[in-house]
Amino acid sequence: MWFKRFSCQHLLIALFLFVGVSSYAQPNATEGKALFKAKCAQCHAPDMKSKSTGPALGPAEENWSAYPREDLYSWVRNSQKMVESGHPRAAELWGVWGPSVMNNFPNLTDDQIDGIFLYINEKYNAAPEVVETSTGTGGDVGGQTNYTFYFILIAILGLLALILARIVSNLNHMAKSQEEGTAPPKRKTLVELLLSPMVIGALIFGLVIIGGYTTVNNAIDLGRQQGYQPQQPIKFSHVTHAGEQKIDCQYCHDGARRSKHSVIPATNTCMNCHASVRVGSKHGTAELSKIYASAGWNPNTGTYFDNFEDMKPEEVEKEFRKWFDDNFKEAKGAEVKEELVKENADLQWDGVQEFVNNPIEWVRIHNLPDHVYFNHAQHVSVGKVECQTCHGPVEEMEVVQQYSPLSMGWCVNCHRQTEVKFADNPYYDSYEEYHEQMKSGDRTGVTVEEIGGLECQKCHY
Amino acid sequence: MKDQQQDVWVGLEDKTNDPSLIEQANQEFYELPVVDALADEKFVQEGKTNRRDFLKYLGFGIGAATIAASCEIPVKRAVPYVVKPDSIVPGVASYYASTFVNGGDFCSVLVKTREGRPIKIEGNPSCDITQGGTNARTQASVLSLYNNERFQGPLTLEGEGERKGKLSWEDLDKQVLSKLSGSSRVRIITNTVLSPTTKKIFAEFTAKYPNTKVVSYDPVSYAGMLIANEECFGQKVLPSYKFDQAEVVVTFGADFLGTWISPIEFAADWVKNRTIKDTNKPKMSRLVAVESGMSMTGSNADNRILVKPSEQGAAVVTLYNAVASRLGGGSIASKNVNAPAKAALTQLADELVKAQGKSLVVCGSNDKNVQVVVNALNNMLGNYGATIDMSKPSLQRQGDERDMQAAIRDMKGGAVDVAIVYGANPAYDLPNADEFKTAFAKVGTRISFAQTIDETTALCGFVAPDHHYLESWGDAEPKKGHINLIQPTIRPLFDTRQAGESLLVWAQSADLDRKADQPFMDYMKKSWEATVFQGQSGFATFQGFWDNCLHDGVFHTTASGEGGAAFAGDAAAAAGNISNGGSGLEVNFFETVAMGAGQYADNPWLMEMPDPVMRTVWGNYLQTPIGYDAGKNAYSAFMGMETSSKGYTENAKITVGGKDAVLPVVNQFGQMPDTVSAGLGYGRTQVTSAGQNTGINLFSMCSYNKDGLIQYHASVTVEKAGREQEFACVQYHNTMGVTDKEGTNVDEKILAPILVKNPLTKRSIIRTSNVDDLKDTIHDLEHERHHHQKLNSYTLYPGHDKEFKKGHHWAMHIDLNACIGCGACTVSCMAENNVPVVGKKEVHRHHEMTWLRIDRYYYGDVNNPSTVYQPMMCQHCDNAPCENVCPVAATNHSSEGLNQMTYNRCIGTRYCANNCPYKVRRFNWYDYTTADLWPANEYSINGEDLPFGADNLTRMVLNPDVTVRSRGVIEKCSFCVQRIQEGKLLAKREQRSLRDADVKTACQTACPTGAIVFGDQNNDEGVVAQKLKSKLNYLVLEEVNTAPSVNYTMKVNNRSDKMES
Repeated sequence: MWFKRFSCQHLLIALFLFVGVSSYAQPNATEGKALFKAKCAQCHAPDMKSKSTGPALGPAEENWSAYPREDLYSWVRNSQKMVESGHPRAAELWGVWGPSVMNNFPNLTDDQIDGIFLYINEKYNAAPEVVETSTGTGGDVGGQTNYTFYFILIAILGLLALILARIVSNLNHMAKSQEEGTAPPKRKTLVELLLSPMVIGALIFGLVIIGGYTTVNNAIDLGRQQGYQPQQPIKFSHVTHAGEQKIDCQYCHDGARRSKHSVIPATNTCMNCHASVRVGSKHGTAELSKIYASAGWNPNTGTYFDNFEDMKPEEVEKEFRKWFDDNFKEAKGAEVKEELVKENADLQWDGVQEFVNNPIEWVRIHNLPDHVYFNHAQHVSVGKVECQTCHGPVEEMEVVQQYSPLSMGWCVNCHRQTEVKFADNPYYDSYEEYHEQMKSGDRTGVTVEEIGGLECQKCHY
Repeated sequence: MKDQQQDVWVGLEDKTNDPSLIEQANQEFYELPVVDALADEKFVQEGKTNRRDFLKYLGFGIGAATIAASCEIPVKRAVPYVVKPDSIVPGVASYYASTFVNGGDFCSVLVKTREGRPIKIEGNPSCDITQGGTNARTQASVLSLYNNERFQGPLTLEGEGERKGKLSWEDLDKQVLSKLSGSSRVRIITNTVLSPTTKKIFAEFTAKYPNTKVVSYDPVSYAGMLIANEECFGQKVLPSYKFDQAEVVVTFGADFLGTWISPIEFAADWVKNRTIKDTNKPKMSRLVAVESGMSMTGSNADNRILVKPSEQGAAVVTLYNAVASRLGGGSIASKNVNAPAKAALTQLADELVKAQGKSLVVCGSNDKNVQVVVNALNNMLGNYGATIDMSKPSLQRQGDERDMQAAIRDMKGGAVDVAIVYGANPAYDLPNADEFKTAFAKVGTRISFAQTIDETTALCGFVAPDHHYLESWGDAEPKKGHINLIQPTIRPLFDTRQAGESLLVWAQSADLDRKADQPFMDYMKKSWEATVFQGQSGFATFQGFWDNCLHDGVFHTTASGEGGAAFAGDAAAAAGNISNGGSGLEVNFFETVAMGAGQYADNPWLMEMPDPVMRTVWGNYLQTPIGYDAGKNAYSAFMGMETSSKGYTENAKITVGGKDAVLPVVNQFGQMPDTVSAGLGYGRTQVTSAGQNTGINLFSMCSYNKDGLIQYHASVTVEKAGREQEFACVQYHNTMGVTDKEGTNVDEKILAPILVKNPLTKRSIIRTSNVDDLKDTIHDLEHERHHHQKLNSYTLYPGHDKEFKKGHHWAMHIDLNACIGCGACTVSCMAENNVPVVGKKEVHRHHEMTWLRIDRYYYGDVNNPSTVYQPMMCQHCDNAPCENVCPVAATNHSSEGLNQMTYNRCIGTRYCANNCPYKVRRFNWYDYTTADLWPANEYSINGEDLPFGADNLTRMVLNPDVTVRSRGVIEKCSFCVQRIQEGKLLAKREQRSLRDADVKTACQTACPTGAIVFGDQNNDEGVVAQKLKSKLNYLVLEEVNTAPSVNYTMKVNNRSDKMES
């Protein structure tokens, strides 16, 4: 009996241990995926093939294969320590990717790291995945080729049919004239047929129709700028800020909830964060210094300049050059050549100097005609419309572009389809009729159109 | 009562059925300009556009469009703040409490700013003087901030070549200080100064330069009253009047609703007893005006008693004696007054005696003797302490022209070294301006603080330009113990400096820290901490007190006044000095509602605001009486002149004491026979462009006696002087009611049962009643409206009533009893809605653009008619006739009952305006605002200057929420749809129902008397829904079934038949 009990007990314990070990200690791609998303994806591209802030991770395991596996673990936990210790692979990476420092993950276990790499390899070796966003384009391209192909096919078949019809007709004609024994009357040639007034007239008519159609269509599009994607004075990345750092749109665009304008943030809004984050993940000091130059902030000391407006340009330049040089040297190592340092500083100062003491002149992307009144607060605070509905996936846009056509038809369509946040806002209580209908079940919702959202003076006054 | 007529009329042309007026009324768009132009041979011959040109332009147009289409869209920039001020959210307006002050004119205001620039003035409800009301002058003051001809920095006008011209402030101070020494004899010439801080600065300056005298005078003088009060009560001040406590108000030529002392306050108070609250027990005060010409106050009076200007004193004495005989008081030497007036005044005395302690007699005379008798009369009636408060005196007029005359004598005698002109313009507004000019030239150093050029500044050596009030710090004490703050709402646009600061710099004041960021503010705060702060107990710290005052804009001291002193005047002695009236033709010169004494002549909005009574713009006119022959029912214009018609009128040359002036004539109902009147304040010669070539300066025709200014002349000759070609009188524009040439129309047969005699009344435009007949009138009105509504049930269109039942249904209610015609709403509407200024010539051509006009109608006795003012704007008809004739649906109806006008859809057919029975649609004949792409559309093509508002500085006043219209589109009142949308959004964001306070139209907020109320008539608890229940309401032209959204309350007067002879 004891045996039985022993075995049962031990079996249970063993089972428990096994399960425990398997769920906690074994490398596991699912867990790796979660860890990757949480810890790595901010800097490493999720397709494992392309470079981002950090290198592509797909080939990483192979690149580290020449060294003990422990080195890879140490690298992940504290990369700078490895660089300092002079590990050859570490030095190699630092040479390429410095001064961007990889975050430390001292708490990751070996198994967790293995799990991450399991996921990485899974992704890396998987067949190319059709990314959702690119499906449309891909489909379009495919459609385009098919369409052309069919078009050519139809054209060839049509031509063949024409030739065959002509041959048959000629043969019939000849047969007929032979039967009757008379000399064949002269028949029109194909060229004559094509040049006949009938055909030319029809052709001109067709051209006028097509021309008119395209003219009208293009005229309607005049002044519209869908897809407008100008270069901005500062290479501000919405991918970094809204995508990776997940900063709320309305943190910076704080007018959207209370004003007609969403408001391009003032430089001092940038300074809320960039007083601490002084070196950018993508452009280092080159772009962020433009903000400092505009705001009159000294990145060397972390304080605002005194009497910035009265400072001599040379003094400002000196401070900023020091900032560029220090960072460059820190990144490249102290032994970097002086010419390179100067070249870097010249280059960066060139971009920065026009911002000294000046506001940042962003290029306005979304332009409405003067006779259109649009109010952000109405849509954001009251209508609870997501920013992305009109502006598109801005968090994925490295350079922002106009996503929507901003045409009247586009506005009107949305007003036709969108339902008002009717039930939870006491403002709409005055629409008693709709409330009754909703209560009785005759109506499920009220669209913007139904409370007058298509009327002229909602937007034009 | 002798010529009482049962109709309503607009003017003489209407009365005489002038065929040209009927023709004009029938033409929707007055064709005068085209006809004129074509009649001009030269124009036709020189006209260069022919068929070839047309083809050229067509080709160019297509080519240009093609090129434009292929060009890239220009890059637009968005420039955010570097450091955004917390108080500014781009796109959201901020309001700052401040105070409008110009001489003695005062109004507590809230300044609406957008992105840091002031764009609109609203009244400040925290102020218990102006009570949230404004007037036209206050509304227009924001425009003068953006006058691009303001002085851009200190100047010297002395010297030759390079020495003349711009200076730095340091240079100016150095030069001025070099001219000032301890023994300098300085004169500071001002109008009334309301600011305690400025007075303190004067004192500091005087302490430094002991031979300084502050010379304060008012161009339209109240010195006679001040002296009389000094004699009677020992205080040289004006009392506070309580028009809301008075049941009978008598005014001897004091235009207290338009210009006299504190018109906003008086209008708000007076109207409290004028609106009918309970139609079953109607109660109204009575206003009796004793005057010669029709003033704005006179036009609002129940009874007008006509006396010549020279008889005014005699009329006061007559009333005094009549009251005294009833109360058993001693009579004073009686004076001759015309017989009808004497009879009426006797009747009036009965009324006054009945209303002892609840009556009020005011007088606009500048003769201290007359004012003493008026004081004695008020005293006899027990009005002191009841309707007149001497314990809380008004400081709104303090000037004494005798000081100014003494200063002129000093200057002439070479006894003045330095003259500083601060806000006054004696070279324009003194009757002896020429004498002043020669005397002024003898002063060694002449300095002006003017913001723009004026006649006096042109004679000065130095100009140290002051800030505009919207850029200034300051304070004002309009009444004792009632202090208002002025705070800047924008950084100074130009290199100007506050006048007070300049004086302190020159006085080398130790209290002024010149290195401070805002030295004047610091000085004022210090001064307030030592004075005003000490007089209050509500706040422990000065900062808390100051912040509160800044927020409210107003501070009332709790300390009570000194208490009214007993009356100690000698009416008998004063009466002895009053002369009898004259017998000849007399002229009266009056301050106009818009221009004041000429201080406002550089403001285009005020120039284009029609005079309330005459309805004329851009100049002064001679009001002449109209003759009426009751036997023949015939009218005649003054001195056999032709009546004005078709935009022309006669000119008249008036000659007074060797001086003459030629003025266009206005045939004025209610003008006393043998008298004429003309407005002051026009004819500025040194003035920025808006004021140039507008009217004639008549100050030179006023005169002085030993006590002061006299604003009339008892001996005047008037003669014809040709025709005025550009008679800009909007009275006959946009007339409703006159139908077609034959005077009949098809509808009339159908409508016959409801029609009375005259087109204006039979088409229900104006409804009036005497308060005693109210019951009958209501009965008639109900009957008529019932009939109209029955007619309206036969409609081609299905009703939209159901549609308007859900959500909002906007409506307006206008109380004709509260409307005094002051024009504040007109100017407010122009400011809010970017309505362009078109100029005199365009107004003459019927092209004025105002969305809101105030129609003035007469009724009653043709010799002395009563007046109705009717604000008329788009009625937002629910059955709008304009909507169904638009070929492109540019005007249509919203589900909230708004008649919407969409400019970008409008192609300018003007069918809508043709079909509008209210004539409220305006067409942009030219590109008045230069909003168009093509400069050829601007109206300068007729050889005129660039249109007003074409420069970027003036454009800063535009409301960014309202589209600026270009040429070729119709525009009209939108019920301030931008404010509706803003109010709705606020309610939605705060997740609550809409409240009345959320949406107020610009005309509503401007109105000093609360005549206009706007709101959602579906909201049963709202004010409008309540007001719509009044039995006195009617709809204009209800019989044509337009279903307008504007309701009017009929005009009820309290006319006493006994006072009519």
